[in-house]
Amino acid sequence: MADFRTEVFQNEFLSDGATDVHAIVTVTSSGAGTAATSSGGVAEIVIIDTSGSMSGPNIDAAKYAAQVAVDQIADGTWFSIIGGSHVANRAFPYPNAPVAIVQMEPGAREEAKRAISYMRPSGGTAMSTWLRLADAIFAEVPQVAQKHAILLTDGRNESEPRAELSSAIYDVTGHFQCDARGVGSSWEVAELREIATALLGTVDLIRNPADIAADFKALVAESMSKGVADAELRVWAPQGAQVLFVRRVAPTVEDLTSRRTEVNALTGAYPTGAWGDESRDYHVAVRVPSKPVGSEQLAARVQIAVGGDVLASGLVKARWSDDSSLTARINPEVAHYTGQAELASVIQEGLAAKASGDEATATVKLGRAVQLAAETGNEEATSRLRRVVEIDDEEQGTVRLKRNTDKLDEMALDTASTKTTRVRR
Amino acid sequence: MVTCAACGTVAEEGSKFCEQCGTPLGAPAAVAEVPVVVVPDEPVAPAACRACGGTIADDGYCESCGEKAVSERDHWSELPSALVGGVCDRGRRKSRNEDAMALALSGTTAVLVVCDGVSNVPDSDIASLTAARAARDVLVTGSAGSTVGAWSALLVTATAAADQAIADAVGDTSGRDEPPSCTFVAAVVDGPTVVAAWLGDSRVYWLPDEGAAHQVSVDDSAANEMIARGVPRAKAEASREGHAITRWLGPDAETVVPSTGTTRAQGPGWVLACSDGLWNYCSEATDVADLLHRTITQVGSAPDVVAAELVRWANEQGGHDNITAALARVAAPVDTVHTDEAVPADRPSDLAPPAR
Repeated sequence: MADFRTEVFQNEFLSDGATDVHAIVTVTSSGAGTAATSSGGVAEIVIIDTSGSMSGPNIDAAKYAAQVAVDQIADGTWFSIIGGSHVANRAFPYPNAPVAIVQMEPGAREEAKRAISYMRPSGGTAMSTWLRLADAIFAEVPQVAQKHAILLTDGRNESEPRAELSSAIYDVTGHFQCDARGVGSSWEVAELREIATALLGTVDLIRNPADIAADFKALVAESMSKGVADAELRVWAPQGAQVLFVRRVAPTVEDLTSRRTEVNALTGAYPTGAWGDESRDYHVAVRVPSKPVGSEQLAARVQIAVGGDVLASGLVKARWSDDSSLTARINPEVAHYTGQAELASVIQEGLAAKASGDEATATVKLGRAVQLAAETGNEEATSRLRRVVEIDDEEQGTVRLKRNTDKLDEMALDTASTKTTRVRR
Repeated sequence: MVTCAACGTVAEEGSKFCEQCGTPLGAPAAVAEVPVVVVPDEPVAPAACRACGGTIADDGYCESCGEKAVSERDHWSELPSALVGGVCDRGRRKSRNEDAMALALSGTTAVLVVCDGVSNVPDSDIASLTAARAARDVLVTGSAGSTVGAWSALLVTATAAADQAIADAVGDTSGRDEPPSCTFVAAVVDGPTVVAAWLGDSRVYWLPDEGAAHQVSVDDSAANEMIARGVPRAKAEASREGHAITRWLGPDAETVVPSTGTTRAQGPGWVLACSDGLWNYCSEATDVADLLHRTITQVGSAPDVVAAELVRWANEQGGHDNITAALARVAAPVDTVHTDEAVPADRPSDLAPPAR
């Protein structure tokens, strides 16, 4: 069984009358084991875009990548392959097979790779059908606790209204996790981000079709390394308090506030998906009624629970003081991740403004992004920003929009906007 | 055999009033000896939250309101009888409670002991609690109706016992830069007689229901030396060095012979023993009496409840120090009653011995 531990970073001292308590809680798991040791088993579905636009090097690379992924899936893992266009088709097990999902073994591996080689591009793109088919296939193995999908596309979800996709995402949320990948520059970052965010996965851009295989290999390996099927983050706040927000802030920024389900009147649970041996940071903000100077109370218990059992708990405290040398201190972790979260949102807002032709807003937002990336030491973000804007003054955030930027550079900046760096300790 | 509930004097068969103090006889003693509340030496988290009544979780905070659980050492209440009670509290600003108290009712004699451990010195909390209990255990051996001289002698003995108890509890710490030490104040209330002994600035006040209140003890403090030199009281007590005490208990004490003082109640009232955590916010005896009477009007006259309210009030004023308030009720020493009309009809209800 995995060991979880928590570490809380905060300035617990509040000035007289202050009400808001911020803390960064680092949750670290160890001894999580692998998917092979996970109780209940693992199921993996690879979804490949087979719309007409994939014709050429994209489909060849995607098929090769899917075969590489199949090689990575450990024996015993339940798996299935889907080809998606304006409809979704099961590629393996073959459409005429009596079962929709099978356990991996050498024979199945060879047959699946053959099935993948038969995939042909044609038709449009309606991702809602892909997700709904994956959901239906996963439903065939209810005993499996850990369900993961990889979705690869090269284009927009053009064969159906956007609401169809959102509705499908809503319906399958909580049933499986999904990493979404876009190859080339014709896909929509916002669409894949919506899928990945809801389904607790990642979104990323693959510039070159030749790189798909390496990415799939890494994704499957990552999925196979997670020995804890599903953990939830629980946040207890005292009677009369309000949870302002709960955000994962590392490795990527993800607002979980609206994902709350009630454990009891004072405790909410937020989904975190599967865990391997890893460490994630959460930013929790709670508003408590102010108490007299000298009072101390607990502002939050931040817990990690697996299968309903609380495995670790971190205490977020509030102490009111009139000593300004204590209350004025800003906790470095809180400051860092507050900046990183703002960085993610100003990049996205800046690119959206640029896309809609609002250059003034884009310049201000991306300038702020440059400033925040410098302040928080996020050098990767700075170098990605550099491909989209000319930086005149990093400290002041003075920038000019570059002309004739590569669409891929903007998409790379967008998809990576939520990636954070950790605090240097 | 009939014994007077107020002063312990053995009365003749058939008497309606005590020969000694005039208290009506026959009525059941208002006060039965109640076992002294035992405070555990190790802090133990109580089961219920003091703020909301919720359950305290294993992490030491309330499961519903988040209030930090208060250990028994940080806050406790004693009520050895319906006439004697007190509360000892950490206050708001100090990280631990170095005040202590030990209360008892022995026969009809009330014993109040309050010690205030020297701030932020390691083991001062142990010293104060040990000292208070040791002194109480000596004082409960006294006999009701003893002379003031006998009580004074017993108080001196009790103080020495308290000092010895500190030495036993903390070992030889005289070599430390700051050995643990504490103030000491004890009061015995034997009928209308109040005898107090003290080292340091913890106080005993006599607060009659009617008439002038006064402080029975005299602080062994730099402030008092300043007052003796003519500095106004308020200014002296507010001064930075005013709080320095000139005598105390502990391994580095120069003398452990306390000063003693006495007063004889002319009517019903209260004896209050307290630490500076209370009197810092209310020093003059008349102000303390006003505060007490106001408090009784609000919460009734059960001594533990009144003490708790005094502590709450001091916390509301800032709670800068640990706060201890211990009260003993002096019932009406009616010297001149010879008829059944002992209790005039217009007597305010709060003058009667408090009932719980």
